[in-house]
Amino acid sequence: MKTFNLPDLGEGLAESEIIKWHINAGDLVQLDQVVLTVETAKATVDVPAPYSGRIVRRYGEEGDVINIGALLLEIDETGAELLTSEKSQTADAATVVGNVSQQAHSVNVDDFWIGGEHSPSTDNLIVALPSARLLANKLGVDLNGMKGSGPDGLIVDSDVYKEASKQHRGTEVLKGARRTMVSTMSESHHNVAAVTITEEAVLEHWGASEDISIRLVQAIVHACKEEPAMNAWFDAETMTRCVHSTVNIGIAVDSRHGLYVPVLRHADEYEPNDVRRWLDQTVQGIRERKIAREQLQHATITLSNFGAIAGIFATPVVTPPQVAIVGAGRIIEKVVIRNQQAVAVKALPLSITFDHRACTGGEAARFTKALTEHLRKAVGK
Amino acid sequence: MAELTLVEAVNLALHHEMEHDPNVVLLGEDVGDNGGVFRATVGLKQKYGLKRVIDTPLAEALIGGVAVGMATQGLRPVAEFQFQGFISPAMEHLICHAARMRNRTRGRLTCPAVFRAPFGGGIHAPEHHSESVEAFFAHTAGFKVVVPSSPQRAYGLLLAAIRSNDPVMFFEPKRIYRTVKSEVVDNGKALPLDTCFTLRKGRDITLVTWGACVVESLQAAQTLSNQGIEAEVIDLASIKPIDTATIFHSLEKTGRLLVVHEASKTCGVGAELLARTAEHAMCLLKAPPKRVTGMDTVMPYYRNEDYYMIQEQDIVLAARELVEGWK
Repeated sequence: MKTFNLPDLGEGLAESEIIKWHINAGDLVQLDQVVLTVETAKATVDVPAPYSGRIVRRYGEEGDVINIGALLLEIDETGAELLTSEKSQTADAATVVGNVSQQAHSVNVDDFWIGGEHSPSTDNLIVALPSARLLANKLGVDLNGMKGSGPDGLIVDSDVYKEASKQHRGTEVLKGARRTMVSTMSESHHNVAAVTITEEAVLEHWGASEDISIRLVQAIVHACKEEPAMNAWFDAETMTRCVHSTVNIGIAVDSRHGLYVPVLRHADEYEPNDVRRWLDQTVQGIRERKIAREQLQHATITLSNFGAIAGIFATPVVTPPQVAIVGAGRIIEKVVIRNQQAVAVKALPLSITFDHRACTGGEAARFTKALTEHLRKAVGK
Repeated sequence: MAELTLVEAVNLALHHEMEHDPNVVLLGEDVGDNGGVFRATVGLKQKYGLKRVIDTPLAEALIGGVAVGMATQGLRPVAEFQFQGFISPAMEHLICHAARMRNRTRGRLTCPAVFRAPFGGGIHAPEHHSESVEAFFAHTAGFKVVVPSSPQRAYGLLLAAIRSNDPVMFFEPKRIYRTVKSEVVDNGKALPLDTCFTLRKGRDITLVTWGACVVESLQAAQTLSNQGIEAEVIDLASIKPIDTATIFHSLEKTGRLLVVHEASKTCGVGAELLARTAEHAMCLLKAPPKRVTGMDTVMPYYRNEDYYMIQEQDIVLAARELVEGWK
């Protein structure tokens, strides 16, 4: 039978507290198996068994403070034959503080190459700006085998765009008005609390040769005077609103190059024929792409006469900082009751979208009413 | 051939070099009779005597200063600091003298000293016993900074460090002092002090690490391999000078960089690696480079130590994020 006393755990600390016994009397222990954990003033230390054998007796309980040399265990070595009888050679880790583990890791740390590979294959090497990689990912462009236009064949964004039109026929990079449309429409969609009111203006009293565009311009000018809240600019960030006394109507014009919205400034001061002349000139200018930037600015309200092509009602999109847009659909024929008689009439469908952050429903409805009533009249003004 | 632990390989290298170069001397606290706090210098005093293996007082400034003096006068001292956290009192000698001796004397004097210190946490030790401050020394011009992470590399790199004509900070990962074993060839061959070591080849991601984290990184690489991700594991080993060529070659293949180090994140060596990658290899990257590091806190006492230490799972998760998040 052998005894085991508390060894010197280092740094001249005489006392240790028993934190936990890991074995009981009667247990078989292996050499180096942790039998108890003690805490010195500086560290917790797992104390391993110095011999293999059967524990005969334990001395000291958890929580006891014991001194170096105090008897800890009696171990019967004859019981060790039941276990693998490895030669008792206690490894001397010699840590005076802390606990350097002796448990071997299962990884092989000493299988190494000095440096790396000798000649890494550069066949598939892709050298591309991170932005170009992202772009290629989004466009589904395969960069393999691509030659870039940057220094040393670096692939840059423009190479990816070019490659995209090769790899996916018909892909183009948006420019000009189409590009502008993307940002203005997204901004509007994200920010505006859009509500669309629809109404019909019955055109019983219209002459045969009424100019719809002129009538719409006149009606909008009238409605803006009646309900100026819809002829305004609004900025949520600064919580400001500017209600305009003049009416600048942005008129949506469709073109091959994209959506243009030239602005008829001071629409309230135009004579009907002047409106028509302005429209014709502007449309011509857009076709020839000769429209100046300032002609596209400072609209206070917008008109979209989509019905000239097709469509009855719609949900037009307000362009901030404006707060309203009037959409005019295709003139339809419908049956109404007049003096208890069914009568066929023509009607102009209207769709008015407003930003509910800036205008009340009442303001929008009154505007719609004024607009409709003005359109219903025999002659404008 | 016997398998040696990392600390035994350090001892073997010291034996080899003391035998072959009479100018090599050891000094430090308990390096003589006691054989060193971790037994790195066992048997050396018995063999080479007290003039070449010098037990110093508990005075790190003295160890640093004496080593500088010895080195500038023709000896090759290998000074041991018991723990990296205890180097602080010697910093004046190291930074103001050892590191700049060659420059100050316009090459007339050099300082061929090695300053050994065990570093890193994970051994349930108290304050000042768990530091990882390799970046301090990498930031100071004049030092070579080396961290071995296997027995054979500890042997070969320590030989190289002793033979270096400029001061070398040699930081030994004490957590794996005795947990890694391999057959060490005692052939007296030094390993290069300016090169990484590739421990595992892979095509999907490059893990760069050093010190005890090499073990968790290799384990993580195995786990990742089972999940279909092949990691290339590079042991940086030479913290300064940094061998970026090996890393960039690896990035040509993988395009993804994950740096793993136990030292805290801010201004750690990982920051330098990411910066150099951004400067010179940005266009190879398929994903933003990433770090798994210790926290920007004082190393906690041992009860909370595991929260600070990098676990294999941390590396696996970060690697998967880099690979799966950036196809």
